[in-house]
Amino acid sequence: MINQSTKGADLPSGGREGRKRETRRRILEAALKVFAEDGIAAATASAVAEEAGVSHGSVFVHFGSQEGLLAAAIADFGDEVVRHLHGSLRAGAGTRRVLEAHLEVIRKREDFYYRLVTEAPLLGEGARTSLVLIQSAISFHLAPAIEADQAAGRIVDSSLALLFNTWLGLVHYYLANRELFAPGASVIQSRGEELLDHYMHLVSTKGGRR
Amino acid sequence: MKEPKLCVSCGMPMEADRDFPLGDRSKDYCAHCARPDGSMQSYEERLAGMAAFMVRTQGLDGGAATAAARAAMAAQPAWSGRGARG
Repeated sequence: MINQSTKGADLPSGGREGRKRETRRRILEAALKVFAEDGIAAATASAVAEEAGVSHGSVFVHFGSQEGLLAAAIADFGDEVVRHLHGSLRAGAGTRRVLEAHLEVIRKREDFYYRLVTEAPLLGEGARTSLVLIQSAISFHLAPAIEADQAAGRIVDSSLALLFNTWLGLVHYYLANRELFAPGASVIQSRGEELLDHYMHLVSTKGGRR
Repeated sequence: MKEPKLCVSCGMPMEADRDFPLGDRSKDYCAHCARPDGSMQSYEERLAGMAAFMVRTQGLDGGAATAAARAAMAAQPAWSGRGARG
């Protein structure tokens, strides 16, 4: 058995595996920051290593390649989306509340999500698929909410896909052009409420607006 | 806070009784990955269900949805032996 007490008090608990997990976590956090600041395509493993305070080789030991690191970073963001929605939405949450939660989780990682959305066509298949899966995590909560609101006559009878894509189109357009809509600030924080109000007005039936 | 159990088939966090097949908390897969009798769906059943959900809720082309569903399942413990390309 490994003696966990000999490596100093500042190290995370759990022995070698614990330290490995902690290093991996630190590299992932650094990657999300560097991707957000430099852009995903322009970011380098060296910049991530420097940000994480680890050697360049350590990035490759943990993630195999730069593609592996990107895939893990997107998957990590996807896990955050799943956890946030699952943790903040009660059963039976309405459409507006689900969309609010969607904006909340984008806001947490807005700079990274901005890069992901705007660079997606230039990234590999794996990254693009991961983005689709993140949207699936949203639609998993949004679809039943919309269906319940449609059944109650509050939301127009359009397809779930078009209702979802209309929302994404709106949010992504403002994100992609954020310097025009909220220079130097969070466009989700500055304009999110306005987008939400507009979207709900657009999809609500006359009865649902009352 | 205690981390919720994750479905071994799709990764969904499972906390409430309704998240488990027939409310059975001993199961490692979620209600969405179960058949009506509570048993776990096969790989093909789950793949078809997940792809159909993406088509219905995101409007994806059927082939693109199946490819994305395969990739999602390849990352889950229950299907880790299956490649992302099937």
